[in-house]
Amino acid sequence: MRSQWIILFKKEFRESIRNFKWLWIPTVFVLLGLMQPITSYYIADILEQFGGLPEGTVMELPPPSGAEVLTGTLGQFSQIGFLVLVLAFMGTVVTEKNQGTLIMVLVKPVSYVNYLTAKWVHLLILSLTSFVLGFVMSVYYTFLLIDTIPISQVVNGALVYALWITFVMTIVLCLSALLNSTAFVAFATLGTAILFSIFSLYAPDLMKGTPGMLATYSQQFFYLGEVESGFWISIFVTLGLILAMMIATIFLFNKKEFAKDVQ
Amino acid sequence: MHLIETIGLTKKFNGTVAVKGINLSIREGICTALLGPNGAGKTTTLNMLTGLMNPTEGSIDFHEDYSGDRRKYLGYLPQYPKFFGWMSGLEYVVFAAELAGLSKEAAKSRAKEMLELVGLAEGGNKKVSGFSGGMKQRLGIAQALVHEPKLIILDEPVSALDPIGRREVLELMKQLKTRTSILFSTHVLHDAEEVSDDIFIMKKGEIVVEGSLVKLQNTYQQPTFFIETEMEMANWLETIKQKEWLRHVKVDKNKATLTVENLQTARTELLSDKTLQELKLIKFEVAKTSLEDLFMKVMK
Repeated sequence: MRSQWIILFKKEFRESIRNFKWLWIPTVFVLLGLMQPITSYYIADILEQFGGLPEGTVMELPPPSGAEVLTGTLGQFSQIGFLVLVLAFMGTVVTEKNQGTLIMVLVKPVSYVNYLTAKWVHLLILSLTSFVLGFVMSVYYTFLLIDTIPISQVVNGALVYALWITFVMTIVLCLSALLNSTAFVAFATLGTAILFSIFSLYAPDLMKGTPGMLATYSQQFFYLGEVESGFWISIFVTLGLILAMMIATIFLFNKKEFAKDVQ
Repeated sequence: MHLIETIGLTKKFNGTVAVKGINLSIREGICTALLGPNGAGKTTTLNMLTGLMNPTEGSIDFHEDYSGDRRKYLGYLPQYPKFFGWMSGLEYVVFAAELAGLSKEAAKSRAKEMLELVGLAEGGNKKVSGFSGGMKQRLGIAQALVHEPKLIILDEPVSALDPIGRREVLELMKQLKTRTSILFSTHVLHDAEEVSDDIFIMKKGEIVVEGSLVKLQNTYQQPTFFIETEMEMANWLETIKQKEWLRHVKVDKNKATLTVENLQTARTELLSDKTLQELKLIKFEVAKTSLEDLFMKVMK
């Protein structure tokens, strides 16, 4: 039933256009992408003008490297960007479930696989498009104002980071399908992402081969153009986890009862 | 062969039994009512039929001509239908039709036809979020019907509506009987009497009375006389108390309600009764008791 998948996908797409998610989420990412290179470039001037430094202070800030700026951009995406994405999509299934629109859909001969994967693909397209737009902005201004680094390093780093986004967004969808509260979906997703990041920052050896290292690997691409061992394990483990989460969610979703007792 | 037959259908929620082993058989081409007070297990039963709930025990068999996913042959209107508020009425019905497998063109023309049928042709382009309760109910019926299901299941279709909306939906249901089979739940006996052919009365998760409306009426309805006179009737009533056609008398000064066994005999005897004539008749009315009495008796 491929055509049914398309119908469900189109519904998601139209919904996100009508409630302007397709406008404001990419906008947030573009702004985040712009800000990092521009503030890095003008930081000395900004401090001079507004920093309240005593008269006559000589500012000698070493100019940041291109890799540093791009890493900073991804840092922004990981914080504000993820927050925006998770808040925008935490209710993707929960809300339909709680409002009762879900049963109106599932009482039609709708395959649960189609229902969930249509949402998943739409979610990924919107978040990855936003990421690409924002990151392209960042790269453009970094090259223009600061420094250039080989384009292949940039692309590799971005691809690895895109997988990290995919992983986090899959968690949002799966939790949204399985839990009953939007707040808990957001809390659990952001919590997982933060735990992964913290552990891979302070105990990288422990986190070797997990999705948590992906952001670190993308930085290594920017700085060095090559990654340490364990990279491919991380990639495959992440892909495996994404697949496993989707299969498990579809399986559990199939067993769920959606009609609520109103009595 | 019936359209749907359930055998020993049971649903338990954490130990409490909501539906206790009921056997339903829904005939094709007619309107069936599932009648009962709130909490009788009507909604739970309907949810199991639609597949939105899994029965704890028992089986549901659909007509053998309609194999595969049962949902293809069912249209469903929940008690509180919820739509995507950002869609227009027409968009929603088209969406529902496409989900059920209709092609884009077919979906569009069927959706328009259905909106016309339920009287929403004008409001089709309005956002659903701006619909009134009655409009939402009718939109719900349109989306349930759009893929030409063999059976539409309506959960309390008129309960939440004002008198006008209620009348509209009941009239609509009468029209729909010519197109498809209907199964609907209600706690209002009058609605069931008005549109349905078969009635199942549920109480505390069990079916207590079932049968066709005609059969129930014949079994449980009795001919009744309402008599009103200028003078008090108590003494006269004493004289007829022994008549074998009389079943039950209720008297209030100069008004009396007589439930009788045989309409013909009772009428002839009453009208030729000299004493009654002397009491100066004001009103002499022949009627039938409604099923209300049965319903109340069952529900006690």
